[in-house]
Amino acid sequence: MTPRYILIQTGRNLKQTWGTQIMTLITVSLSVFMFSFFFLVYTNMLNTGERLGDHIRLIVYMENEVPPEMEEQLATKIRQFSAVEKIVFKSRQDAFSDLSEQLNDDRDVLFDLGSDFLPPSIEVYPKRDLKSLTHIKLFSDFLANLPGAVKVQYGRDWIERFGSFTQLIQLIVLCSGILLILTATFMVASTIRLTVVSRQNELEILRLLGATKAYFQTPLILEGVIQGITGSIIGLTCLFSLYAWIKIKFAGPSFLEIFTLTFLPGSVTFSILFVSVSLCTLGSYISIRKFLKI
Amino acid sequence: MPQAPVSDSIIEFIKVTKIYSPDVVALNDISFNIRQGEMVFLTGMSGAGKTTLLKLICSLERPSKGLIEIMGEDINKMKSRDLQKLRQQTGVAYQDFKLLPKHTVYQNIAMPMEVTYMQPKQIKERIAFLLEAMDLTRKKEIQTDRLSRGEQQRVAIARAAANAPPLLLADEPTGNLDPTNTELVVNLFTALNQAGTTMIIATHDRSIYKETDHKIIDIDQGEITIHNNQAS
Ligand SMILES: Nc1ncnc2c1ncn2[C@@H]1O[C@H](COP(=O)(O)OP(=O)(O)OP(=O)(O)O)[C@@H](O)[C@H]1O
Ligand SMILES: [Mg+2]
Repeated sequence: MTPRYILIQTGRNLKQTWGTQIMTLITVSLSVFMFSFFFLVYTNMLNTGERLGDHIRLIVYMENEVPPEMEEQLATKIRQFSAVEKIVFKSRQDAFSDLSEQLNDDRDVLFDLGSDFLPPSIEVYPKRDLKSLTHIKLFSDFLANLPGAVKVQYGRDWIERFGSFTQLIQLIVLCSGILLILTATFMVASTIRLTVVSRQNELEILRLLGATKAYFQTPLILEGVIQGITGSIIGLTCLFSLYAWIKIKFAGPSFLEIFTLTFLPGSVTFSILFVSVSLCTLGSYISIRKFLKI
Repeated sequence: MPQAPVSDSIIEFIKVTKIYSPDVVALNDISFNIRQGEMVFLTGMSGAGKTTLLKLICSLERPSKGLIEIMGEDINKMKSRDLQKLRQQTGVAYQDFKLLPKHTVYQNIAMPMEVTYMQPKQIKERIAFLLEAMDLTRKKEIQTDRLSRGEQQRVAIARAAANAPPLLLADEPTGNLDPTNTELVVNLFTALNQAGTTMIIATHDRSIYKETDHKIIDIDQGEITIHNNQAS
């Protein structure tokens, strides 16, 4: 089959319904932009969360020291509840030496107090992922109920807020993803339908002239592919421009230290492109199946 | 691959009946065959069933009864791919032309060649030839809805002849033409036929077949009579 014909035919189609074509293009671009924008926010929050995770640990203060033979059992119990990076058991002695190490030159103040005034504790380092961030409250409640536990201490409540905010973003990503699916598929399907309807007369005659299925379909499929490619390139380019603008605008050292902004990795960008193109192609295919009677 | 049938007939009608709903019997139990390379005239009064017969051949209509074989294949059992192939190889000049009104003369004639993916250069050459033969060269870029009936008719004929098809059906091809243009059409048909195209021409116009020795199929009230002018 000659690619030339397909291109000519596709060109004719696009020309014939250019108003709707542009509307569709805008919608597809916008959907891609929205989805990838929220996805970008989300991945950056995840990155930040991971960095925050370095500083997160839960300290469970115990009434009595955990006997070494019990340590394994307790650790297993904790692991069963939630995945953790590591668990460190601290005796009174350990706590004392930690403190005196921290105090450094001022450590003499401790001598009067004796080496066992600090409570023994278990330090739990949660896995550095979103799940443990959002479950931290639950986790701490669980730890507080361990036998012999007196009190659980962990980072401030902003960790919790960060966690629930990230969850919200996750939800938005999901919604904009669904929106993308709907717009890409249905908008493209309806423009293709328009093309088919507006060329009904011509298609009828082509049928009489013995045009093959491929002759009818390929330009229409290509129309969907073009919508997908152009739409997602426009959407992603807008996103990248926005990203670049923010990066320049907020290039202050303080901001970027806590919150290093990164763009979507190449693989993700490519996936978004690929999925949008697939969806648009699917849209045109659906329309062809429904409206193009050969 | 089976060999071509010994009879070398390109079209075979066996006891074909066509009834339009509810009860118009357009063709009644007719049988005939047309051999490869023949030129056949289809005559009969208005409403006799000429168009119906041509529509059956290009499977625009289905027979109510009977068997139609084109190039050795039962037209009713053809898969869509074979039907497409058959239509590509059958040029049809319809009585109502079936041109695209908003497309130019050139675009209309190019369609069957585009459908068969002919090279653009060849299409151009072929159209130049056909426009010359039909005296339409000056109308090349005109939309067909701006043309006179006679001009539209010649565009339809040019389109039917575009692919130099093995089989060409023409329904009342000279109905709107003056003697000069009729001669152009007859000349084109003769040339195509001499190059091997099987022709079936439905016509009222005695002038185009009275001098010839071609087969004539006359339809009268759904029945056919075959006059074989040929000496043999
Ligand atoms: N779609 C249809 N539905 C019902 N009757 C039809 C249909 N098409 C044709 N007929 C009838 O079938 C008969 C044959 O029609 P056909 O068009 O084949 O005649 P024709 O020989 O081509 O006439 P003309 O010389 O006027 O073109 C006519 O009586 C016509 O009214
Ligand atoms: Mg007729």
